[in-house]
Order: sequence, then C-alpha cells, then structure tokens
Amino acid sequence: MVEYAVEVNDLHVWLGERHILQGVTFRCPERTVTAIMGPSGTGKSTVLRAINRLLDLNPEAKVRGRVKIFGVDVYSVEPYVVRRHVGMVFQEPNPFPHISIYDNVALGPKLHGIVRSKKELDELVKWALEKAMLWDEVKNRLYDLPTKLSGGQKQRLSLARALALKPRILLLDEPTANIDPVNAMKIEEAIKSIVREEGITVILVTHMPAQAVRISDFLVFMYKGKVVEQGPTRDVALHPRSELTERFMRGEL
Amino acid sequence: MLRRLLPEFRSNDDRRFFLLHSPTTLIVLLILLSIITVLMLYSVPVLRKEGLGVFIKNIWRPSDYDPEAEVYGLAAAIYGSVYTGLIAVIVAAPLALASAIVVEELIPRRAKGLVSTLMDLMAATPTIIYGIWGMAYLAPLMHRVLLLLHHHLSWLPFFSEPPTTGYTIGTAGILLGIMATPYAAAVIREAYSMIPTHLREAAYAIGATRFEVVRILVSLIKPSILAGLALAFARAIGETVAVSLVIGNSFNISPSITVPGYTVSSLIASQFANAGLYMYMESALFAGGLVLFIVGLVVNALTIWYMKRWEEAIKRV
Ligand SMILES: Nc1ncnc2c1ncn2[C@@H]1O[C@H](COP(=O)(O)OP(=O)(O)O)[C@@H](O)[C@H]1O
Ligand SMILES: [Mg+2]
Repeated sequence: MVEYAVEVNDLHVWLGERHILQGVTFRCPERTVTAIMGPSGTGKSTVLRAINRLLDLNPEAKVRGRVKIFGVDVYSVEPYVVRRHVGMVFQEPNPFPHISIYDNVALGPKLHGIVRSKKELDELVKWALEKAMLWDEVKNRLYDLPTKLSGGQKQRLSLARALALKPRILLLDEPTANIDPVNAMKIEEAIKSIVREEGITVILVTHMPAQAVRISDFLVFMYKGKVVEQGPTRDVALHPRSELTERFMRGEL
Repeated sequence: MLRRLLPEFRSNDDRRFFLLHSPTTLIVLLILLSIITVLMLYSVPVLRKEGLGVFIKNIWRPSDYDPEAEVYGLAAAIYGSVYTGLIAVIVAAPLALASAIVVEELIPRRAKGLVSTLMDLMAATPTIIYGIWGMAYLAPLMHRVLLLLHHHLSWLPFFSEPPTTGYTIGTAGILLGIMATPYAAAVIREAYSMIPTHLREAAYAIGATRFEVVRILVSLIKPSILAGLALAFARAIGETVAVSLVIGNSFNISPSITVPGYTVSSLIASQFANAGLYMYMESALFAGGLVLFIVGLVVNALTIWYMKRWEEAIKRV
C-alpha cells in the first residue's frame, strides 16, 4: 500500500454559517508538488489552513472530514506538533519585523530545540537561507532587521523560516502573487530543489497556470468549495475534462 | 509675506476651520508658555539664594524670624519622586502586561467588555479614593508585609530599615503602581490588538504554542510596552493627593522602602498652604514644580523619540 504524504478525505469546512469546503478529497505522494488552482474565494487557502490547523484559530470554523499526514490524523494531535512538521508560506511576506534576519530563521529551531549548539544553529540558518536562494544576498547583513529587504527577499526569508524547521510538508499559499517575476522565478527554483534534494512534499496554491505547469506534478482544480478535476498536471492543464477548468486555464474565470 | 506663512485654503470652509481652530491651539500654547514662565520666575528667588544646591541638598528649614536663615533643598523629594515612580513602574509592568494579555488573548470576546470597563473604572476613580483606601487598607497591610520583609531580608538595602508604620516609600510606590496600571495597560492593549494577523499567523505557522506565540507578540510590541511604562512613570511622579496620604511625609533619602518619605508633588501639596509665611519656601516649591515639569517633558520626549524610531524601523513588513 502506498503511503501518502498528505491525504485529504471528504473535507468539509464551515466558517460561521457558510459551507466553505464541501467535500474536498485529494492525495499527495511524497516528494511531489501538488498545485491547487481555482478562482479566488474558492476555498484554496482554507484547504491549506485545514491541513496545518490554522483554522483552529478561528472560533467560527467547523471542520469535518479527515486530513492525514503520513498516515497520522492531524486532528488527533496537538496543532503545534502538526505545524512544526508542516511549514507554511503565506501570500503576504511576513517575516517578524523586530528581530534580525538571522533570528527570523533561527526562531523556529530554537522554539523546538532542534539544535544543540550555536554552531549547529548557524549551519541550519545558512542551510535554510541557501535553500530559499537568499543566502548570497543577506550573508553580510544577517543581523540587520528584515525591514529593508525587498518584498521578494522578504518572501524568501519567510520561506527560509519555514524550511529551518526541516518540515516534511510545505504549504505555499500563492507565494509569488505579490512579487516581481525575478523573485518569483527564484522562489520556483527554490521549491523545485527543495522537493528534489530534500524530499519535502509541497502543496502550492497558485493562480498562475504556467507556474503550475512549470513546477507541479499534480494539479487539483477547485471551484466553489469543491474539487472539479484532478490528476497529473499535464493531463489536467493540457487536456482538461471539465469546461470550468478549461475556462480557468484560458484565464476566463 | 504673511501669505506665505499661512496654509493654502481650498475653500472658505477650510478657512473657517483654520480660523476657528488656530486660536484654540494658540491658547494651549500660551497656557504652556505661561506655566513655564511662572515656574521659572517663581523659582528665581530660591535659585538666587541657594544656587543649584536647592536641587541637591536635603534640608528643609523654614525660619520664622530671619529669612536669610531659611534653607531649602529638594533632594529628598526629588529622590522620593523618582524612587516611588520606579517602584510604581515595577508594580504596574506585570499588572498591566498581564491584564492586557488576559483581555486580548485569554478571555472570550463577551467578557472583554466587562474587563475593559473595570479597567476604565479603575482609571476614572478619583485619586483621593485611592488615597483613603491606601490609608485605611494598604498602609496597615504594607506595615505587616514590610515588617516581615525586614525581618527576613534586612541584608537587602531595600528592606534595611525597620518599618515603624505603614506610611512608607514602598506603600506609596505600590499605590502609585496600582493607580498607573490601567493607563499602561491601555497603551499595551492597544498595541497588542493592532498586531497584524499575518504576523500572528507567522508565529503559529512555525509551530509555536499559544504561550510561545504570546511571547513572540509581546516582544514585537516592546516599544509600546516601554511607552506604556513611561506613561505610568509620568503619572506616578505627577500624582499628588494619594501619595501624600500614604508616604509619611518626611525628608528621608534611604534605599530602604520601609521608611517614610516625600515626593515633590506631595511636598508641594503639604507645604504650599503655609509657604506664604516664609520668604523663600514658596519659591523652593516652585523650583520643585519646575523639576517635575522638566522630568515629565524629558520622559515624554524620550518616549516619543523612541516610538518614532521604532515605527520607522518596523514600518510595513
Ligand atoms: N475568516 C473568515 N470568516 C468568514 N469567511 C471567510 C474567512 N476567511 C475566508 N472566508 C471566506 O471563505 C471563502 C474561501 O476563502 P479562501 O479559502 O481564502 O479562498 P481562496 O484562497 O480560494 O481565495 C471565501 O468566500 C471567503 O470569503
Ligand atoms: Mg487564498
């Protein structure tokens, strides 16, 4: 039996009275990139937040269904344990503005006690920044506040912060939506190498069909809280079976 | 020429608005100016007589017969103001921070209103009420507590002197801390509630527990916490009635919080009525007022400067 990195099974989410996710099901094999696409307001972010249990922060949210990571039901363990193994990068770059670039990356490992010495921490921070393709740009100002970084650099710092926990799964919520093309390409490169070299499983919410085609192995197309179509990216993107998917790919939705 | 100094008006409404409000601003400025002037003018006689010694010496000797024999030094009062102010900050810091966090993080939204109303009530309670509460309840309680502390910890300078009554520097500091708490808490809460969601989520997303998230967010608003505490300090050194009821009113300069003391405010309050009988006492009290004014100004200016610098550094991440 194949064990999946992520299994989402008949997931329903209500926010207050609204039935936001209406039975979402998909699976992500280990070491793959799954892209989630669909018009905005469809519930893509909500899917990610159900996986790492950020939805718990919203007292209005009700969740039904099952989310498993490596066979473990995420709703059967403490949320912070889930989040420690499932990293997340948001649409809006969100490094902590009051601590240095170095500390932004080091904070997670320190919280979870995953390094034993300053030297190990230094190495981990360097590794994470390299993986996020940011090391060369910040290595001479690690102890500066991140406030002077460009938006794209901040986003890569957010990525490095997530990577520093050595997560097995990474959730990316439109990470390049607010970012210039050069930085976007760097982030795409980073994602590819993370999957290839570190074996991390990625779920990427994106609004750009081209980006999905470039870096994802599987594609889940959602519309109004439901999965309309899913499969290997090439099949779904190039030969969509649903008219909705086709229209979205053409940029009409 | 004058044209250039005046702002440009888009409409008559603008002009009317300006004309209506500029006098108000002017009045405020004039009042401030007159306060400074009065403080300085009235301080002159004692400064002439004592020089800067009036701020440094600890002595308070009026003389009924010979004005030239009068000697005044504000050191004990200035010391008491700063000391009680610092104690107040130390007391208010955990109270204000904890209450802000409890309100913002822990209690359900419905109870929020209740707690903040209580806080507002605390802030709105007339200071004389704190004063009589302090006399009737806090001072006797503090007497017992300080006796205990002195008994066990007299090797610490803070408790080195035996407390003879509950009317002490420590009592005043604690009362001031309680009184200043709602103000500091309001500043801290405001800052805490304005932390953007994306930073809060960033903290959760790296697997922080609730408690760790709070720690991260508190460190994020550290400058506002400092500002809140500076406000508490400023309020504490300005507070008068309540302090003069519990501080014991005597000219001590001691590291021990178990002895009675004075603050500049309580000194002015308790001495001003009969100061007119003497040649220089009134002037000495004005000099004290000048010190208070300047300290308040400096604390405020430092706070504003620090917040500005911080805001600029943090701006938009
Ligand atoms: N905190 C919230 N409370 C109520 N409704 C929300 C909240 N967050 C999102 N929604 C609603 O849930 C739906 C799905 O949102 P989201 O998952 O962010 O969509 P997407 O990421 O696909 O754009 C949207 O219609 C949105 O208005
Ligand atoms: Mg979204």
